[in-house]
Amino acid sequence: VSGERRVKLPAWPRLDARVAGALLCTAGVLAFAGPSLLSGAIGLELIATAFWCWARASEDPARQVARWNWLRRPAGALWLAVAIHAVAPALTHAAGTGPPSFDLWRAIDAAAVAWAGLELVAALPLARPFSDLPGPLVVSRPWLPVLIPSAGFVVLWQYSAHWTGTPEVRAVTAFLLLVTAVLAGLRAFARRGWIVILRWLVVSDCALAGLLVAVGAVPRPVSLLLWVGACGSHAFLLAAELRGSMPRRGMVLSVLWRLTGWISVAALSWPMLLALGSLQAPLRYLAFGAAAVPVLLVSWITVGRLIEAEERRAVVRRDTGVTLSHLMPLLLLGGGPALITGALWTILAPRPLAALLSLIPALLGGGLGILALSRPGEAATAEVPRRSRPARALARAAFRSVVASERRLVAALRRAGFGLTAPLRDLHSGDAQEYLLLLVGVGVLAIVLPLLR
Amino acid sequence: MTSALAVLASLPVSDSPWPAPALLDGLLRLPGSPATPAVLATLAAGMLILLERRTQPAYVSLAPLLLIAVLAGLVFSASQSGLALAPLTIAFVVAILARDETHPFHAECGIKMLWLMGSAVALSWAGLALMTLATGTSVIGEQWGVLAMGLVPRIAWSTALSLSLLVGVVMLGAAPFHSWVADVLQGARPWVAPAALAALQVVGATWLIDRLANIEFFPAAAQVAGVLLGAAAAAAFAIGAATLITQRRPERRTGTLASLQGALVLAVLAATRGRADTMELGPFLTQWGSHLLLALTGAATLSHFMPGSAPPGAPGVSLFRRHPWSGVAGLFALFSLAGVPGTPGAALWLQVAGILLGAGQPVLLLLLALAWFAGFFTVMQQLRDAFGAKHPAPPTGDVPWQARTALWMSGGGLALIAAAALAAARR
Repeated sequence: VSGERRVKLPAWPRLDARVAGALLCTAGVLAFAGPSLLSGAIGLELIATAFWCWARASEDPARQVARWNWLRRPAGALWLAVAIHAVAPALTHAAGTGPPSFDLWRAIDAAAVAWAGLELVAALPLARPFSDLPGPLVVSRPWLPVLIPSAGFVVLWQYSAHWTGTPEVRAVTAFLLLVTAVLAGLRAFARRGWIVILRWLVVSDCALAGLLVAVGAVPRPVSLLLWVGACGSHAFLLAAELRGSMPRRGMVLSVLWRLTGWISVAALSWPMLLALGSLQAPLRYLAFGAAAVPVLLVSWITVGRLIEAEERRAVVRRDTGVTLSHLMPLLLLGGGPALITGALWTILAPRPLAALLSLIPALLGGGLGILALSRPGEAATAEVPRRSRPARALARAAFRSVVASERRLVAALRRAGFGLTAPLRDLHSGDAQEYLLLLVGVGVLAIVLPLLR
Repeated sequence: MTSALAVLASLPVSDSPWPAPALLDGLLRLPGSPATPAVLATLAAGMLILLERRTQPAYVSLAPLLLIAVLAGLVFSASQSGLALAPLTIAFVVAILARDETHPFHAECGIKMLWLMGSAVALSWAGLALMTLATGTSVIGEQWGVLAMGLVPRIAWSTALSLSLLVGVVMLGAAPFHSWVADVLQGARPWVAPAALAALQVVGATWLIDRLANIEFFPAAAQVAGVLLGAAAAAAFAIGAATLITQRRPERRTGTLASLQGALVLAVLAATRGRADTMELGPFLTQWGSHLLLALTGAATLSHFMPGSAPPGAPGVSLFRRHPWSGVAGLFALFSLAGVPGTPGAALWLQVAGILLGAGQPVLLLLLALAWFAGFFTVMQQLRDAFGAKHPAPPTGDVPWQARTALWMSGGGLALIAAAALAAARR
């Protein structure tokens, strides 16, 4: 209409989804620094919200939103633990303390915290294969899923007092982490792409580190440093892979990173295997053997699959000297595991034979990895050698069959749950005649119920 | 009007000779006053009335606001009401619903409510009459004393007690009697539904409290009442949780959340009156009722703008795309109804959980935790569905300013209550 003036009101501030997600994610990670469960729950909620923000703004929101929706479950589990402590502030983590009714809530608190950590480390059969899939944010899509198992380990480590004090929860958690470490190792071994392999190696590292916390072999700060060494080396490799594969450029860097990964995994696995081998339990040899499998596989892959990147440039870029890829191994090797391993020797004081046996899986894995590398004279190639294909096919089949069985089990349980609760849901039909029948029925029940006592 | 008087009555009296500091002091304490939610809910209802198609002058169209003021006043002052208030409230709400003959859903809600609650009142009155017949007195306090003498057979007083509690449970909307709550929210006009629901639920709670007054003088009856109320609360939590997870319509989801609020009162009664506890329930009921009224106002208004069952990746609804902050204000009310941490509703859930823990009711507490978890999970999913996926096309449909104002009133009111509670806790 001529002459009409439309007044435009100032719009509310709206953040770009990428920025909003990044801010939320950063805040979520920082929240884990707080020792309280509340800050952990807020942190997980923020990370889940960050993934949702990125997913809803992606080019395929239908798929991405559905794919990452499960991240709310671990946050919900942690909120439940927060609520338990809010209702019972006197609840402590040591078994047998407080009134008898606290035992139940202590167990639920432990289960909730362990659930949150386990699901993020892909140790529950609900969202196990998430590391096969890229994340929702385009710019860091292949790297983003690494954040999830790392958050899972931090939950298990930061709030270990909540779940390690309940023996049943501790045992179940250790078993699930062991299974996860094996499955992640198998999956990493079965995959071809280096980026996906690294994602699965991070899952395996986190599961092994969680197992270290569960067996309680070393003090908490030490277990954190060991995890930083192992998981950090694989995460850095993955991040660097997306920025020009720098750690694989040249022989020196390749060898340096193989060595870093190998030593870090050996340092992480050694105290854990040592503790499993010295358990006073009938199944200790079985546990030791099962834990040795992922250690062997991870060492093998870390050494044998890190192939020197082919130089495609016609004119080689001038050497820029020392880069972050040179410094990081020194940091990871020199700062943490080497010193810690020496210190552990004095703390744990193991028998020499047991100490040697606990090192064998890592040494064997590394040795097999070296053997799998291209022989002198052969061209270095990213392709997996033909001779390892049957083993990879076997690993793939084992992983798929386990995941398929788990899915069938979960689906059956879900159907059973829906079937059992169907009568409860049907009460909501809203038919007026049914209201009256129900009322009369409940009236009769109300009369009979007191008489039964 | 009732609410305005209630606000004035609730203002604290100051010793200061100057009226100005007293008024300022009163204003500062206003958010913490139980009358504030009643006033805000009435104003929000006024906004929603303005949405109706007007065929008469504005002042005539706003006349139904008086009905809402009465209902809000009932919520505010329900802790003093007696057994007679329940049938009157039911009749009043049914009359309001039956008033508009042009709206079939409205009338259907009224008929359903009359059908269900009329029968429940009849059964409960039969129970009251039986108890009077057995004890020879209609005064509740005296009835327990007579029963304690052991002259009345157990079958007589237990039957009478069970029946007399029935209408209270039905009015609370606790499952399996939760259908009417969802029906009202889905079928009745947005301006009448929250106030009617809150009034009925609060009066239902006072019915139960009045009926169980002084029951500690006869422990056997307290035990029977505890079993009945505990079973009712357990059923309400379990059925509510199972229903919430599978419900699709947002109005009905809000109804189930409201029914869980009824279950909270049942749980408190089972934990206190069932153990012949003399805990004073007046302050809890006032706090619960005021919160329920305001949270329901926001949540019920919001539910009319929420998606039904949106597939993952569907674009967001108009409200959240055009006016996201108004949507957030409404979501705060919905979150408070579900007891999401950080909202005033969460404090109520935690308070009830603490009472159950203290009373040694682990099963009931477990079921409460299950229902809370289901509610929390559901509303978080609703948040995601409401915002939906980013979509290049502009949103269709507009959101009237009156509805947005109502959302801000309820959400802002709840935020003020939370802030006042925080300030009081610090003091």
